[in-house]
Amino acid sequence: MGHMSLTTGGSPHTVEELKELAFELRSKLLHLCGTYEGAVHIGGDLSAADIFTALYHYGLDVDPTDIANPARDRFVLSKGHAAVCMYIAMAMRGFFPYEGIVDTYGQLDSAYGMHPCKVHLPGVECSTGSLGHGLPLAVGMALSARGRGELHRVFCLLGDGETGEGSVWEAAMAARSNELGNLVAFVDRNRQLMTSFAEERVVFEPYPDKWAAFGWNVVNVDGHDMADLVGAIDRLPEVDSKRPTVVICETVKGKGVDFMERNLAWHAGSLGAADLERAMAALEASRDKESV
Amino acid sequence: MPVTFTFGEMLSARSVIGSTLAELGDEHENLWVLTPDIGATLVEFRDKYPQRFLDVGLAEQACVGIAAGLAYDGNIPVVSGMLPFLSMRALEQVRSDVCYPNLPVKIIGTHGGLVGNGGSTHYAVEDLALMCALTNMTVTSIGDPLMVGEIIRQSMTMQGPIYIRLAVGKKDRVLYEPGQHDVRIGKGIVAREGTDATIFTHGTVVAQALDAAEELAKDGHSVRVVDMFTLKPIDEELISRCAVETNGRFVVVEDHLAYGGLASRVADVVADRNIHLSAFERLGIPQVYAGFGDDEELRNKHGYGLEATIAATRRAIAAQS
Ligand SMILES: Cc1ncc(C[n+]2csc(CCOP(=O)(O)OP(=O)(O)O)c2C)c(N)n1
Repeated sequence: MGHMSLTTGGSPHTVEELKELAFELRSKLLHLCGTYEGAVHIGGDLSAADIFTALYHYGLDVDPTDIANPARDRFVLSKGHAAVCMYIAMAMRGFFPYEGIVDTYGQLDSAYGMHPCKVHLPGVECSTGSLGHGLPLAVGMALSARGRGELHRVFCLLGDGETGEGSVWEAAMAARSNELGNLVAFVDRNRQLMTSFAEERVVFEPYPDKWAAFGWNVVNVDGHDMADLVGAIDRLPEVDSKRPTVVICETVKGKGVDFMERNLAWHAGSLGAADLERAMAALEASRDKESV
Repeated sequence: MPVTFTFGEMLSARSVIGSTLAELGDEHENLWVLTPDIGATLVEFRDKYPQRFLDVGLAEQACVGIAAGLAYDGNIPVVSGMLPFLSMRALEQVRSDVCYPNLPVKIIGTHGGLVGNGGSTHYAVEDLALMCALTNMTVTSIGDPLMVGEIIRQSMTMQGPIYIRLAVGKKDRVLYEPGQHDVRIGKGIVAREGTDATIFTHGTVVAQALDAAEELAKDGHSVRVVDMFTLKPIDEELISRCAVETNGRFVVVEDHLAYGGLASRVADVVADRNIHLSAFERLGIPQVYAGFGDDEELRNKHGYGLEATIAATRRAIAAQS
């Protein structure tokens, strides 16, 4: 990593270690989805699990014991419905105890709800949930950092469906206009919205060209290949460069659980106890397949 | 296919929307259905009339604007989605593209009130205040799932726009027998007769108000419940009549900000008509971002649940004349 490090808790992880962490994150997500009685946005959590792992355990220069450090990298979850994936990734990074999530998720007065709330949960950078809001917020933070001459980055995670919102492109234009090379967007390109597949109702292609046409530095990666994700982070342009970067992560909605993969029924849902076992077995099986 | 049900049963208002629109598609060849990626309940219409169905993806503003464009050309567009996003993200489109030219666009959606446990981005709690402020807009909030179908039907012949608000719409208590009430946009429904006080309410908490009246009846109180499902234009005559017939005691309960919704609409009529009241109790969401929790827990926490409704009605009845 090119920038300074606030990181406590050891050296950056190896790709193998990161894969283990991503597996643990998925297991914990399934556990929650199997025990919490309401719906969990499990499809878009699983598609983003490797991205979250690469960010919270490798890319983001943050210190869980010093969440207000002005030099920290900022992370804005624009696809706010993946909040629980972020909560668990943050818990695994040491921001707060995992048990708090499992024990209180979605309950009255819990800090951990369907969409992240900065007021209820310090450590989360922004309150989000309505799609199309995160990138403008990230542009504001990146502008502020520039104005103060600070050298941290601002990261933002979007859904590909979310990029249908006009505000995303308004912000994309502002980011290029203001030469925000300290801004990095990750797009979870799982090619599914809530009720349709990409290209079925909404034409996204040529997708990378759209970002390129807005003047962004475009990086395409396999969003489930940890080495690829780590490589993209390692090769980010200098913080004081002039083009914002978008890392388009090719992913599969529901990744790791065969009956959820590319299945519109699993945008959000809950697993009963029996299906939890089935899902866990599927997750194990998919790992075995990958390690062959 | 007609929807069958029994009184008091739980029914999904969403399924009523789906089947009603599919039926109306036959009768109205210019009926269009549009959605910003909230199309699960619209599958029946989509499959029957693919040429008149449009899912624009995540693009609420364009969705409402496109609906207005269709309406300019003589079509009847229904925009279906989640109300926090239709009423706020697309507010200017609703106001300047739909209301200003007075086009017959119907906006129908879910997540009105503290429902669904999504947090404050996903609760429409200011929507009725915003929609009531718009010239030409008719504003409704529906609790009874079957009534949703009736309101959509009636809206087909309306000249201007209408806003139809639902809660989550997955499990709603059937409140009225079909034909039990004369359901007409602009007319309140006396859901329960009474003479000691009137509870004005709408949407998802009508059921709760009826439960409160039932509870109070055990103590000998006769409480009227008015389902004021049309907030605009409001049924002024009914409000005047209730003041006289229920001893000048009003309680308003709603799943919306306590200021700006039905309570404010009723208070305006009271002021404008110089109606004398002995009590006016206003129960709704206070000026806070409500946090997480299930619907009932949130209503209790924020002071407009069943117990609070009963207590407020008792206060109203006990107030000095
Ligand atoms: C403005 C807005 N409209 C609608 C929704 C409801 N919603 C939540 S997720 C979603 C689909 C998002 O698709 P995408 O961005 O591709 O996310 P992913 O597939 O990664 O879950 C929708 C319609 C919302 N949260 N915000």
